[in-house]
Amino acid sequence: MMSILASHAGRLLAVRSKLTLLATVVLFAGCSANPIHKITGTVLTGYAEGEATPYVMQMSDPEMACALGEGLDPLLYSFSRINDAPDTSGSLLMLLAANCTEYEAWEAELAYLRADYAGNVPLAKDARERSKRLYAVTAERRLVAFRRAMAAYDFDPAKEPLDCPFLFNEQDEMTFLLGLLTGLQAVVNDANSGARAGIPRNIAPQAERAATCIDNEKTGGLPNAVRALVWLLLPDTRPELSPDPWTVLENSSALGVKAGMRASMALEAVAAETFGRTDVLADVIRRFAEADDTIEVWDKYRLADHVAEYIIRFSSDKYWTAEYGYRTPQAFFGKMSPERSNENVETMSLDGLL
Amino acid sequence: MIRKSLAALTLAAIAPLASAQTVKMCVFDVIGANGDMFNMVKDYALEMKSHGVDFDLKPYTDEGVAVGDFNAGQCDAVAATDLRTRPFNRFTGTVSAVGALPTYDDLETLLATLAQPKAAPLMKQDGYEVLGIVPAGAGYLFVNDRSMDTAGDLAGKRMATLDYQKDAIHMVNFVKATVVPSDITNFAGKFNNGSVDTAYAPAFAYEALELYKGLGEKGGIVDYPLAQLTIQVIAREGVLDDETAQAARQVAWGMYPQAMNLINKQEEAIPEEKWIRIPEKDVQGYQEMFRQNRIEMRDGLNNAPDVYNPKMLGLLSKIRCASNPSASECTSDNRE
Repeated sequence: MMSILASHAGRLLAVRSKLTLLATVVLFAGCSANPIHKITGTVLTGYAEGEATPYVMQMSDPEMACALGEGLDPLLYSFSRINDAPDTSGSLLMLLAANCTEYEAWEAELAYLRADYAGNVPLAKDARERSKRLYAVTAERRLVAFRRAMAAYDFDPAKEPLDCPFLFNEQDEMTFLLGLLTGLQAVVNDANSGARAGIPRNIAPQAERAATCIDNEKTGGLPNAVRALVWLLLPDTRPELSPDPWTVLENSSALGVKAGMRASMALEAVAAETFGRTDVLADVIRRFAEADDTIEVWDKYRLADHVAEYIIRFSSDKYWTAEYGYRTPQAFFGKMSPERSNENVETMSLDGLL
Repeated sequence: MIRKSLAALTLAAIAPLASAQTVKMCVFDVIGANGDMFNMVKDYALEMKSHGVDFDLKPYTDEGVAVGDFNAGQCDAVAATDLRTRPFNRFTGTVSAVGALPTYDDLETLLATLAQPKAAPLMKQDGYEVLGIVPAGAGYLFVNDRSMDTAGDLAGKRMATLDYQKDAIHMVNFVKATVVPSDITNFAGKFNNGSVDTAYAPAFAYEALELYKGLGEKGGIVDYPLAQLTIQVIAREGVLDDETAQAARQVAWGMYPQAMNLINKQEEAIPEEKWIRIPEKDVQGYQEMFRQNRIEMRDGLNNAPDVYNPKMLGLLSKIRCASNPSASECTSDNRE
């Protein structure tokens, strides 16, 4: 009898605990229809910011990282239907997702250059159209990433005078800075798509102003590189007494090598292409390849350095394909022509052997 | 017999590639090789490849330098705004005559007309040839105070004016405003920091050069096309043979929808409340004002610079009167 009572009491207690727990969950979930979903979203966002982001930033495989962006972004953002939007991680995820379509656009652009080199106009036109479509999608994703980064820190890029955002830690600084860079890239992608994505062009001067909010030395010279690129594009934004933008870009690249994150070099290469400075392009590609021997990559932001490598390699591939019809052979990365530099190797006489 | 046919076929296959001619082109785009205009010229170059021409494009962000390098022989062709290419062909350079084409429909009619093979002789002047004309958008007046909605209100106001644009300088003097010499790289800064009260530019500049900052709360954009800006491709005569040159002009005409798509997007990005709509009754007055000034600048009267080509002005008048036959200019004694 006592045991029956005890077991009943135990069961009642268990049920009561479960009911209490459920009631607590419902209370804390604000009486929404799916409290489990709400909690899951909160946990997932916290996990994404606390663990996944630092982990991804240390990856050395940009294509795997971009696939993560494409896969995880809808999952994470589906929770924004019931929770606050996870804009800090969301900005980085969308940035990565944009890289995926950009890599496809690059392949299409190389296909266009190959066909152009071979004189196959229909094939070139087809590849160029494909690249434009992909650049448009890339631009749209990058605009979303930019807007999320701005929203994550309550920063209004249009506001003047400039009111710098509060950036709690280094990860926040990097997220904000990468958000600005992504915005700039969106403008370039849009132009390369034939302006299909309708990206607001005023992101460029806004990014120039906002870049002053980040410590230049701590972030491998990237803020100054962003500013110098915009000064070249829009001379009106360049402050009086500021140094020559090309010098700033070169110094930023050097800082990037020192810091172990060569994103500034990628910007220098983009600037060189934009302004037809083949001399600067050749020099930055050479410097990038040379730095491979000495650089100590900043482990915390390894991915950023690898993405920069992809950008430099693509710049090199475009040049090689336009000039020679094929992309940069690995042994010639850092050079702009297939001429071998070992033509003066000593040879022995073959007299007596023939 | 089979071998001979095979050889002939092989030769036929190789021939188009072998005859591709390389032409260096200096291309102006405000933001260089990643800009909208440069990308459009890339499309033009790709299309021209199927006509046996391989355009080797070099980007310039300063069209003065682009034209300078073209003159120095560093390029065989140049793509720049008609403000800069007018010296090479005054006829096509007169497309951007002040107030001459009030609507994009009129511009479309003009460009279709000029793309015809019959127009080919007009494309050559003094050893140069026009290989294509593409719209770059209407130029509008940006003012820092909406109350400046009549020509009379401009008197005494400072206007950022391109210092090589003689017809614009003439108009600024005509309305008794003050010319503030400027160039493409600095006029926006002057408008935005209040150094000038007005500036003129295509819609592209509203966002890209942040002209909305200069507009502020009180300013606006006068909804009246001051001129139709175009990008023109000029080559030294003989760089392309007549047939290929005509093909080039048709290719450029074929890009009209793409160019207009871009311009429409840029104009749509301007919020409705920023536009200053001119009453219809005032529009006629302005059209007459511009007409008189165009005549002066055609004939060099009253110290006006002699910059406009009479044949083009005549053609533009025909187009305007075809789309608006009741306009007073159409029955005027001194019709262009």
